[in-house]
Amino acid sequence: MKKKLVSLVLASSMVLSLAACGSSGTATTDTGSADTAQTGADSTQSSDTAASDTAATAEPVGEQVINVCLASEPATLDPALNSSVDGATLITHLFSGLAKWGQDASGNLVLQPDCAEALVEGVENADGTVTYTYTLRDGLTWSDGQPVTANDFVFAWNRAVSPALAADYGYMFEVVDGYDAIWADGATGEEKLNVNAVDDKTLEVTLVNQVAYWNELLAFPAYMPVREDVVSNESWATDPSTYVNNGAYTMTGWDHNSLITLTKNDKFVDADKITMNEINFYLSDDANNMLANFENGDWQFIDDVPTNEIASLKDTYPDEFVTAGQLGTYYVCWNINEKILPASSTLTGAEKAAAENEIRNALALLIDRNYIVNDIAQGGQVPASSFVAMGLTDADGSQFYENAGPDSSFTGYYDVSEAAYESNWESAIETLKKYYTYDEATGQFSDVPTLVYLYNTSEGHKAIAEAIQSTFAGIGITMNLENQEWATFLETRKNGDYSIARNGWLGDYNDPISFLDMWTTASGNNDVQFGKGENKDVKAFSLDLTDLGYDTKVENGTWAETYDVIIKDIKTCTDINTRYQLMHRAEDLLMSTGCLCPIYYYTDLYMINSNVQGFFSSPLGYKYFMYCTITG
Amino acid sequence: MNTKTLMYIVKRIVLAIVTIWVVITVTFFVMHAVPGGPFTGEKAVSETVMAAMEAKYGLDKPLGVQYVTYLGDIITKFDFGPSLKQRGRNVNDIIFDGMKTSAKLGVIAAVIALICGVILGSVAALRRNKLIDRVIMIITTAFVSMPSFIMGSLLLIAFAINLKWFPANGASKNGLVLPIVTLSLYPMAYITRLTRSSMLEVLGQDYIRTAKAKGVSGWKIIFGHALKNSLIPVITYFGPMLAGIVTGSLVVEQIFAVPGIGRAFVNSITGRDYPLVMGTTIVLATLIVIMNLIGDILYKVVDPRITLE
Repeated sequence: MKKKLVSLVLASSMVLSLAACGSSGTATTDTGSADTAQTGADSTQSSDTAASDTAATAEPVGEQVINVCLASEPATLDPALNSSVDGATLITHLFSGLAKWGQDASGNLVLQPDCAEALVEGVENADGTVTYTYTLRDGLTWSDGQPVTANDFVFAWNRAVSPALAADYGYMFEVVDGYDAIWADGATGEEKLNVNAVDDKTLEVTLVNQVAYWNELLAFPAYMPVREDVVSNESWATDPSTYVNNGAYTMTGWDHNSLITLTKNDKFVDADKITMNEINFYLSDDANNMLANFENGDWQFIDDVPTNEIASLKDTYPDEFVTAGQLGTYYVCWNINEKILPASSTLTGAEKAAAENEIRNALALLIDRNYIVNDIAQGGQVPASSFVAMGLTDADGSQFYENAGPDSSFTGYYDVSEAAYESNWESAIETLKKYYTYDEATGQFSDVPTLVYLYNTSEGHKAIAEAIQSTFAGIGITMNLENQEWATFLETRKNGDYSIARNGWLGDYNDPISFLDMWTTASGNNDVQFGKGENKDVKAFSLDLTDLGYDTKVENGTWAETYDVIIKDIKTCTDINTRYQLMHRAEDLLMSTGCLCPIYYYTDLYMINSNVQGFFSSPLGYKYFMYCTITG
Repeated sequence: MNTKTLMYIVKRIVLAIVTIWVVITVTFFVMHAVPGGPFTGEKAVSETVMAAMEAKYGLDKPLGVQYVTYLGDIITKFDFGPSLKQRGRNVNDIIFDGMKTSAKLGVIAAVIALICGVILGSVAALRRNKLIDRVIMIITTAFVSMPSFIMGSLLLIAFAINLKWFPANGASKNGLVLPIVTLSLYPMAYITRLTRSSMLEVLGQDYIRTAKAKGVSGWKIIFGHALKNSLIPVITYFGPMLAGIVTGSLVVEQIFAVPGIGRAFVNSITGRDYPLVMGTTIVLATLIVIMNLIGDILYKVVDPRITLE
């Protein structure tokens, strides 16, 4: 009798706990897209351009719903305010601007007209400004049925640039005439961009000069149209009920911090080309959790993987683990005002600066980038030898980084091939011997000041810091490591309260200027402190642009007299070839300081289920799911 | 309820308010003293944009003024202000959303822990040193000593990846089952052990011996006489435990991608989202203070011998 009671108690406790569990949902196993019933989903898009192609004959199966996870909750889905890559992917699915990224017949990524009938050429005016006139396509509507007009663009662009909105990416409009007046001191708030709606279907915009990447800007989220009555509600972009958009999808659900659901917009003018009926964007930033959901088949796409799993994932999922190019460089930056010469050094002024440049460049040669890429980062990154990243194109369409640097026998500013490492090492040691005391017997330098390497707390950054630390330690240079929490780190680095810091930069558009104009004296991203602090009065930089038809010829000038000038020249240059040559010169000047030590070009790692066809991503990291199909 | 008890409760409530005020003040000033701001990012915004943003959110005013305005808004309007990071959303909504999930998770886990813990603890006490007692003790020792990130990961691998019984994310159907189980195991094991030891103590008391002498059956003694008195330590533990589960489920939220308040709290700190840091801190602090207060009052209810002063 007693035994029975015990089991009764145990049984009842189990029932109770089950009942409690049950209240959080009914006990069925439903994974949405796992439905195997064949339905007549449209399959107009050919699937041969997929990133992960399986059998070419695979037919679309099921309801065409895809579950993906890019990151955690986006800070905003207001196109003008967005500054994140994951937010941009969502906005790309929700909005349609004048231009968009798409694939041509052979699968290459190209800019295509979207709301505009054509991506027209600009007409140069007498004062050097350039006017573009776009005609909007027929049948453009907002998700609530109202027509999209040229005025919506005029309103949206003026809003995106306004000080009242204070958007991070407001500066994306600096090429448009009128931008400077809006942000000038003493502006009244009434200034507008030179953008006009000639009629409902004709949009006229004037740029300050020829802009090589103008079409690319048109595809950027900040350039998407929004409607005045919609955005007058400040929280319009936080709830599906108030979210009015004009793109391929409508937002049908937003469970904050959990899930955003996009459903195909049948009113969209190109709806017949959209093959994916529903996209569930799960919101999580935990790479381990993403992987768990990918491995059990619930999610078909994840945009992040745990760093320490990369090696095994490459083996386990050779077709589903994808490494794509990305416009970005991982680098180490020096504080230009850091004292690195031995205490006994008597060098001053330009001589001191030249010595420091040489030392920094020599130290950069000591770093074994191939080891860092192959054994630490392991994500298919490419050892970097220039600051402007791989993937950005030159005037003739070739790779900008391949044309960079002084020597054509290797790519970039130093030879980062594995074979060259030994000779790099030797030349670096020779250079350092000029300035520091070297003990030939032990191979150690004895009077290099102690350095401090600052990084933001993360296993990956730490591992790279340690690799560099041990390399330097091998020749007697002490470099201590210091890590800081992210926001603190950003502030410290920005203020120049460091000697060496880990750094990284992702371009906003495919134009090298997005890597170069950040180093002007006044730029908020000038972490190196070029032209600031002590460096303000250092006259050690030279620039000669006379061969390119400019008057500029500076021998030992300040940073402001050289770099700031060339960036200004680039921004106003209308000849494309000259402009790119100027950008190479700017990078030459930048790299000659040795303050930027590129480590590798970033790659974008993601995993995509092999039953997904028709997926592509852009070098900016935007992902395109609208033309995907799910096959067997 | 006598005047003494009433006085005690009033005193405790006043003390609770003071505690929360101290929390608000300290958090406010420490938060602003930490380097980095809400608008610093990898890509720096221009100084004009920064100034425009700060003006928009009143961050350009002196800290003292900001503090007074902030306190005023909380007291008069119960308004925690707008989020600086999630533009267009206000802190009240974000906290409400997060608490909805966290509270559901926490309350269910706590109830499971309480029911299973008390039953298992009683069984173990009654079958002291028998096989079932040993088994329960071994299992509970394991659960008490295993941190939730290991337990969560194990459950995730077993039930979400290998067996595929439950999804690995909190957003899907049945997605909360695994996090609830993970959250409930530690307090359940703890309550089991508490119940067992306090039950054993109670079972040695004179009045139990009297009941036995009268011929009352073993189970009647447990549930009729011993259980109520042996629950006192459990009640002490339950209040803070509930607050702890609801507020401290961060690790579990992270493992299972559950959109709870813990994630919002941590993200708000890394992002320097000042109003959200304040809002979550205040809500969580208030919750803990209230739970402790309720625990203390419940003491009195179960044991009239305790005088509250």
